[in-house]
Amino acid sequence: MASLGRIVSSRHFWPLLVFVLTLLLLRHLSTDFFSISDGRVYGSLVDVFVRGSQVMLLALGMTLVIATGGIDLSVGAVMAISGAMSAWLLTAHEASAGVAIAGGLGVGAVCGLWNGALVAWFGLQPIIATLILMTAGRGIAQLITDGTIITFHHAAFEALGKGYALGVPISVWLVLGMLLVIGAVVDWTNLRLSIESIGSNATASRVAGVPVARVRLLVYVVSGLCAGLAGLINAANIAAADANNAGLYLELDAILAVVIGGAALSGGRFSLTGALVGALVVQGLTTTILTSDVSVHATRVVKAVVVVLVCLLQSPAFRARLQRMIRRRP
Amino acid sequence: MRRLLGPRMLPLAATGLVVVLLYLAAGAKFHDSNWFTYRVLRDLVVNNGVLGVLAIGMTFVILSGGIDLSIGSTVAFVGILSATLLGQGWSPPAVITLSLVCGVALGALMGWLVASFDLPPFMVTLGGMFLMRGVTLLINDSQIAITHPTYLASGKWPIHPAAGAWLIALVVALYLLHYTRFGRNIYAVGGSEQSALLMGLPVWRTKVAVYACCSLFAAFAGVAQSFVSLSGDSTQGVAQEMDAIAAVVIGGTLLTGGRGYVAGTVLGVLILGLIQSAIIFANINSWWTRIGIGLLLLIFVLLQRAIQQRVDRQ
Amino acid sequence: MRKMLLTTMTVSLVGLWACAPATTDAPPPPVVSAPAIDGPADSAPAQKLTLGFAQVGAESDWRKANTESIKAEAEKRGHELKFSDAQQKQENQIKAIRSFIAQGVDVIAFAPVVETGWDAVLAEAKAANIPVILSDRTINTQDETLYTAFVGSDFREEGRRAGKWLAEKTNGEASILELQGTPGSAPANERKAGFAEAIADFPNMKIVKSQTGEFTRAMGKEVMEAFLKTPEGQGATALYAHNDDMAIGAIQAIEAAGKKPGQDIVIVSVDGVKDAFLAIQEGKLNCTVECNPLLGPPIFDLAEKLVAGEQVPKITYSEEGVFDENNYADVINDRKY
Repeated sequence: MASLGRIVSSRHFWPLLVFVLTLLLLRHLSTDFFSISDGRVYGSLVDVFVRGSQVMLLALGMTLVIATGGIDLSVGAVMAISGAMSAWLLTAHEASAGVAIAGGLGVGAVCGLWNGALVAWFGLQPIIATLILMTAGRGIAQLITDGTIITFHHAAFEALGKGYALGVPISVWLVLGMLLVIGAVVDWTNLRLSIESIGSNATASRVAGVPVARVRLLVYVVSGLCAGLAGLINAANIAAADANNAGLYLELDAILAVVIGGAALSGGRFSLTGALVGALVVQGLTTTILTSDVSVHATRVVKAVVVVLVCLLQSPAFRARLQRMIRRRP
Repeated sequence: MRRLLGPRMLPLAATGLVVVLLYLAAGAKFHDSNWFTYRVLRDLVVNNGVLGVLAIGMTFVILSGGIDLSIGSTVAFVGILSATLLGQGWSPPAVITLSLVCGVALGALMGWLVASFDLPPFMVTLGGMFLMRGVTLLINDSQIAITHPTYLASGKWPIHPAAGAWLIALVVALYLLHYTRFGRNIYAVGGSEQSALLMGLPVWRTKVAVYACCSLFAAFAGVAQSFVSLSGDSTQGVAQEMDAIAAVVIGGTLLTGGRGYVAGTVLGVLILGLIQSAIIFANINSWWTRIGIGLLLLIFVLLQRAIQQRVDRQ
Repeated sequence: MRKMLLTTMTVSLVGLWACAPATTDAPPPPVVSAPAIDGPADSAPAQKLTLGFAQVGAESDWRKANTESIKAEAEKRGHELKFSDAQQKQENQIKAIRSFIAQGVDVIAFAPVVETGWDAVLAEAKAANIPVILSDRTINTQDETLYTAFVGSDFREEGRRAGKWLAEKTNGEASILELQGTPGSAPANERKAGFAEAIADFPNMKIVKSQTGEFTRAMGKEVMEAFLKTPEGQGATALYAHNDDMAIGAIQAIEAAGKKPGQDIVIVSVDGVKDAFLAIQEGKLNCTVECNPLLGPPIFDLAEKLVAGEQVPKITYSEEGVFDENNYADVINDRKY
């Protein structure tokens, strides 16, 4: 009984439960939930993972940023910039897929560096610092694409978004890879401790010797890298770089994912896998609604309810009131 | 004059100076394209009236230390609601009243969640944004024309609806913030919630009221928008909350709360409008607008930080 | 004291500007104006004019071609073009049009991103005596005198042509998926209506699922993916996409689902951009109904006539064709867009 209690109170329980319930609903609605043919996996379940891969990547980076008590509103715009850069390299310079990928990731990291510098060195509030890039970023992306949508034909590059390896979509492998890399870096060094302590109390951390500025810089660079990779997948998926629409509002979905996954917006303890589960919940809801006959706009209303519910469940004040209400019934 | 340049007013005066300088600089370049005409000034006010109302409402929330992401979606909701109901025969006063009531209700709900359970305003108002946009799109996912004679006649009013709305909002906001206890409480709560609590101020009530106020302004902006465009548009106001936040920040209000003036927000909106006008006049690619606004935001925020640090040190 | 000073300052400033009537007088014409160029009567170049064009955005290949056509034509004829890209927001187009009025252009042309909400600003243009040409899309208005001319495609006819072609190809029997354009836009509304008209005569042709793909490749792909997982989608035999970009996105989704676009699912779309022709060549797209984006010449023809004081037809439709596997080869090399 005690172990059941422990499972239920685990941070991952509720998001996972919601995800599983959503999948069950999806299975009921979809004619092709999961199948394997030609050595590849297919179906609505796979779609959730593939469609959600971009938000999952963003959520990985966003978790680290939020854990330090910050936020990154610019990730959608960074996706647009990275997609634009890679498309431009592929078409105007006939670059190879490797160069295009490096270009996209590089520009993502540079954007992250920019954000990190504003927050860590200039002391700007994260919401404002990243709002600047969020505003200007799509303009920069359009500068690169010269105001048009660049389309390209490059099988190797497009594989990022459409290809399969060992029967599983490459975009899913990329998410897994990023999770492992970031997880390793965070857990094998004392980075997790540093990040969480900065999020809990930045001043105390600085006094205790934690290199606050450097850690802050790092988390924004990671967020930028994740956004850069997501942008590459986005462009590869449709073989086009659309500066206006790539990653539009995905930053909000990423923040939602991180919060659903159990992290507090004010910073502190974080969980990378929790963020991924959160992202899957968001995408699962979207795909399920798209598959059903319910209007696609209902997705937003559902997201609204989910946001508020999750925040309420995380709020100590709400839980206290709930317990008081439960205790009042004899 | 000395008071005008005092530490509190310096940022505001400086911002005002920037507005004038921008206007003159653009004029230097575009004077033979009719920049220095009355029409350009008038367009500046009319084009940005609705954003002006939104930004003023946002100022309230930011002064209290919070944020509100739902205002753009509220504008769209009011537009679609108005157009739908007018098409079914409702009268303008009824429609307008209902719209404002919906605004207050949404704001009060969000404020209650923030104040009672200490939920992060970012997330609660994000939920508000999703809710309003979703409901709007569910009612109608494109546009509905408004053909009611009162609305149609607004084209002949002595004051353009957008300009009038902005003026009304400004006057009301100035009164609330500088001449009522509510206003003083907002500044106190934004400055330091702990201190405000200790001083015995009604923090909970202030917080709920501040979000209700902001949504009321947003609903009012929506009403103005419906007069301006004579239609309800479900895609209206997308990402407009970010523009409003930018205007508030450029206007000198601190995101941490407790410091700032509505007048600053007005100047912020004017600056955004001037940038956009200048870029159209310059006939360069419109994406420079975004880059320009981003740069401007950066410069202003850095400058404000520098000034603030100097002021705090005194 | 400071408060009162502040209050009165701001209120009076804004009040000064706010006392702007809803419409004002005509602005003075721009300072620079070239004299008419002499030349043989039948090919005399028109007087140099200034045209303000408020474009929708850059959401598709078609729009890109449209923009280039207008810019190229302005340069070719020696006219001054003030061009603004609204990034698909109506308020940006309205701001641009107001700016054109203030700058005193000779003619205003724009492609309305949505159908409603233009009455006020067009009334201002009318009061300023600047003729307005609608490019490529129409508006929904109470007062038809607010614009002088429309040049573009007959979207409803395009929808009808698509429907007719599909009826012929499938012998009047098809289970159709529909990808719509941006809700509320003229092309989306009209192409849907025209198609529905054309297939109304064929009781065995039914649209089983219909949703918006917002005219973009990405959404076309995402919505198609979801369609293909539903019972109706599984049994679908045809796809009607309101534009080529959505069709191309959908083709990718169909391939990913293991089906053959062009064979298992017959695809007809609208626009006629080069990528669509390439897709026909590869056998993945079956038919594209042309929507001519090269509106530069007709727009400037109208503008020149208007400035010269001549009458112009209210509606001018472009010449357009229907292209499928039989005749695409004739045109594919000329297609620059």
